[in-house]
Amino acid sequence: MEGFYQAISQLAKSGALPAMFEHSFMIRGMLAALIIGPVLGGMGTVVVGKKLAFFTQTIGNAALTGVALGLLFGEPTDATYAGLYGFALIVALLMTYVKHRTRMSNDTVIGVVLAQVLGIGIIMLVLVTKQFNIHQIEAILFGSLITLTDSDLFLLAVVAVVASGVGLFIYNRSMLVAFNPVMAKARGLRPVILEYIFIVVLTAVVVASLKLIGALLVLVLIVVPAAGAQNIALSLRQFFWLSLIFSTLSTVIGLLLSGVWPVPTGAAIVLVSSVLFYATLILKPMLGRAGVRQGE
Amino acid sequence: MSNEPQPQPPPDAATPLLTVRGLAVALGGNRILDDINLEVGRGHIHALIGPNGAGKTTLIRAIMGGMPHQGTIEFHFRGNGRIGYVPQLLEFDHSLPITVGDFFALMLQRRPAIVGQRRAVREQIRATLAETSSDNLIDRLLGGLSGGELRRVLLAQALVPVPELLLLDEPASNVDEIGAQQFEDTLLRLQSAHGITVLMVGHDLQTILRNADAVTGINHHVTFQGHPRELSDPATLGRLFGVQALSLDRNGASS
Repeated sequence: MEGFYQAISQLAKSGALPAMFEHSFMIRGMLAALIIGPVLGGMGTVVVGKKLAFFTQTIGNAALTGVALGLLFGEPTDATYAGLYGFALIVALLMTYVKHRTRMSNDTVIGVVLAQVLGIGIIMLVLVTKQFNIHQIEAILFGSLITLTDSDLFLLAVVAVVASGVGLFIYNRSMLVAFNPVMAKARGLRPVILEYIFIVVLTAVVVASLKLIGALLVLVLIVVPAAGAQNIALSLRQFFWLSLIFSTLSTVIGLLLSGVWPVPTGAAIVLVSSVLFYATLILKPMLGRAGVRQGE
Repeated sequence: MSNEPQPQPPPDAATPLLTVRGLAVALGGNRILDDINLEVGRGHIHALIGPNGAGKTTLIRAIMGGMPHQGTIEFHFRGNGRIGYVPQLLEFDHSLPITVGDFFALMLQRRPAIVGQRRAVREQIRATLAETSSDNLIDRLLGGLSGGELRRVLLAQALVPVPELLLLDEPASNVDEIGAQQFEDTLLRLQSAHGITVLMVGHDLQTILRNADAVTGINHHVTFQGHPRELSDPATLGRLFGVQALSLDRNGASS
């Protein structure tokens, strides 16, 4: 990877690329933005369809506890992968299990877990590191471009490829289950298994994108691009591709902004996606929702 | 499992398509259904009636399989043994930009619906929708459909592939009268064209009196079993089904 960074860095120095790309962390950041943007945007359409927005937030929150657990079990501070993925996955699967075992609504189950995992995480992190290191907490909550390593990037790429493959393979069925699980079952689908598969994929994607976007802000990138697309799309196809484009624009432009001004990348990404969302709101009456209008 | 479709020797015409014996369902300690006995005749329209919360939807779901129960549910299929299901409603966000065509593409094509529909799939969708006179709705957004239009789309959904038994969970309201009439006509046409047996949760007693071949009243247990004409006495209705009698009055007054 070093050779690649140096080549890009040379281009930046010669003025062919913006000066910010002289730094390898910015190059890594751009690669991460280009990889994670489309994946989050695409998955967002299913998350919105299945009403899993706050579920996603809980996975992000669980990540903090995951980091603490990773440190506790002796993982290196910049690579607490087992703790991160392991704990987030356990929390995600547990919530899904509780939802299917009881007749509680999604909201209730999430409400029980959402803040708990964050609180426990902060306490554990302080206990484990024997100090209140706000930077460590900050890095997880708000993302930290500087700490993005090559192995993070590699993991991100692997997760993105697998998630895209599995996500597209189960896309039709996952959406159909969202419409009516009983109907989906009558059509020979396995709603519970499909849900577990989707949750595992979603968890991996959310955790992989934490260093770029942060636990508190990842929800935005799952929901806002899809919501913006929902405003102006007239079919499922438009919904999906617009969401993917909005999300990618958000990560890329957000990263560039954080290279120009000293603002956190995650927050800049959120800002861009919000601007895009409000733009769709303004565009909406001009484009007209023909389908809805006919039906009303 | 007793509720799985099982291969049967060819029965004679008098054999019911579906036999339910001693069915009991308990959910979270509550007995929702108790000692339900039921026979659904081949090619019949069989209506289930009863007050809200009587367990009608639970019974439909038990018949579909996947609902833990006691007792036996036996199918005597002769053809593909497929069960079609028309849900009361779709639990989706009505502002989602998903067209009727998208909805069918999710069911009928293997490749992700987000890349669009192949011409052949689109033709198949159109033909299926035409079965319920709703092919004109193919490019409309699902969230923009009227109650009646959505009912026809959901019915069309249950017809690919054509089932032997159609389970229909009718909503208590939300369908305008023209919509209800259209739905009724469509259902009768399909039933005679494909010989489908229909078991439906019914709410509109006028429709049931006109079309059903048999009626079972349910209120956790069986409260009535017979031909719909035996239901024409409002006093009996009131005693058996409570709110259902009101629905007869309302429809009686309006027709």
